[in-house]
Amino acid sequence: MEDSTQKSKFKSVTVEKPIPLQYDLAILAGFDTNALDESRLKNDTDNYLEEYTRDGTQLIINQIFNLPIKSSELGVMAELPDLVTVLPREKPLPKPKPPTRWEKFAKVKGVQHRKKSKMAYDEATGEWVPRWGYKGTNDDGANDWLIPVPDNAAKKERITKNEARNRRNVEEAEIASNQSKGLNGVNERSLRRAELQKQIIVSKTATASMGKFDKRLEGEPKLKGVKRKFEPIIGDVKKEKESSLNILNKVVGKKGDIVNVRKAIAKRGQ
Amino acid sequence: MRQLTEDETKVFFEKLAKYIGRNIVHLIDRSDETYYFRLHNDKVYYMSEELMKQAISVGRDQLIALGVCFGKFTKSKKFRLHITALDYLAQYAKYKVWIKPNGENTFLYGNNVLKAHLGRITDDTPEHQGVVIYSMSDIPLGFGVTARSTVETRKLQPTDIVAFHQADIGEYLREQDTLF
Repeated sequence: MEDSTQKSKFKSVTVEKPIPLQYDLAILAGFDTNALDESRLKNDTDNYLEEYTRDGTQLIINQIFNLPIKSSELGVMAELPDLVTVLPREKPLPKPKPPTRWEKFAKVKGVQHRKKSKMAYDEATGEWVPRWGYKGTNDDGANDWLIPVPDNAAKKERITKNEARNRRNVEEAEIASNQSKGLNGVNERSLRRAELQKQIIVSKTATASMGKFDKRLEGEPKLKGVKRKFEPIIGDVKKEKESSLNILNKVVGKKGDIVNVRKAIAKRGQ
Repeated sequence: MRQLTEDETKVFFEKLAKYIGRNIVHLIDRSDETYYFRLHNDKVYYMSEELMKQAISVGRDQLIALGVCFGKFTKSKKFRLHITALDYLAQYAKYKVWIKPNGENTFLYGNNVLKAHLGRITDDTPEHQGVVIYSMSDIPLGFGVTARSTVETRKLQPTDIVAFHQADIGEYLREQDTLF
């Protein structure tokens, strides 16, 4: 008897749908692809929607109860799986980087990059050891009990050289991006030359006298300022009036303050 | 002497519009005679066409002033209105403040307008609005900026500031050298 009263009070926990739902339990969502019952939706909208929602919720809750359960201080928790829904990328794909000199050269020559494995066979010991790093093959006797103070000159030279190359690559990439912006036809050399001239002029002003008393080099370009140009004192009367009215419209707004909004609101409130 | 550039005109009008709003039109587009704004030594002068034509024959160094000086451009290219522009501001002012006879003197010495000296004020004057200041007998005394809106001034203490002083006709004596 008790069973039958419970049945009438609560609905069944098993819900049957022709097409099973798809779930993304990480966001507690289920996606129902079954067709809606149109006649009931039209005639008995509220009840139908209520039932439909209940069934859907029941299905999600059933799924949650199937998940691995962990009890903690806060209570019994179900562990949600990872997100299934694939969200589109927020930002556009990064633009390809401009190729460096080496990459350009490698492309022309057809040099292929072969990936070396991390481990290398050490013939002396007959073991596989890392190619570099801790216990690597290239330690060059660093593990010996006595080693001479290393001569860093060669390494330093290599580093400065590489830095110079890197700088050149950056400059060339910038020039290339300028060319893509519509500054075509100007070759890299002349662009870099113009850039240098500009930098010289800027650096000239970096003295206390803003370059006024600096020695001038022979053939140094003269600095050209912007020449100001004014309208004549007595010009076109009509034109002047029109232009100042235009500016006034921009400042005050075309309609201006013909209607005093604050006053109008106050009047209306009375 | 030269015409104002577009930027200068904009800065100038923005300042002027704080006091007379759209009434600047009446200065530009006059029915009686054509009047112009001209810049000379960083000061803006307002003059009739006839006066301007006469002044053209005077050299730049020799020309000291002409017409009505409205104000000057500061070194940082902001515009500062001078008291000499008061005639035109008073004529077209949108918001006005009248002060009682006992407050006239303190205002003319360059002090702010206190609540105790406030005679009348235009309805619905907003906060920080450029206003022209009159005596009770409707003589324009100067101009300033409201510290409070009209509604708020009613609740103020007598010693509270109603309008900040910007220029007054006492400057005709105090600043004779730089005014024109």
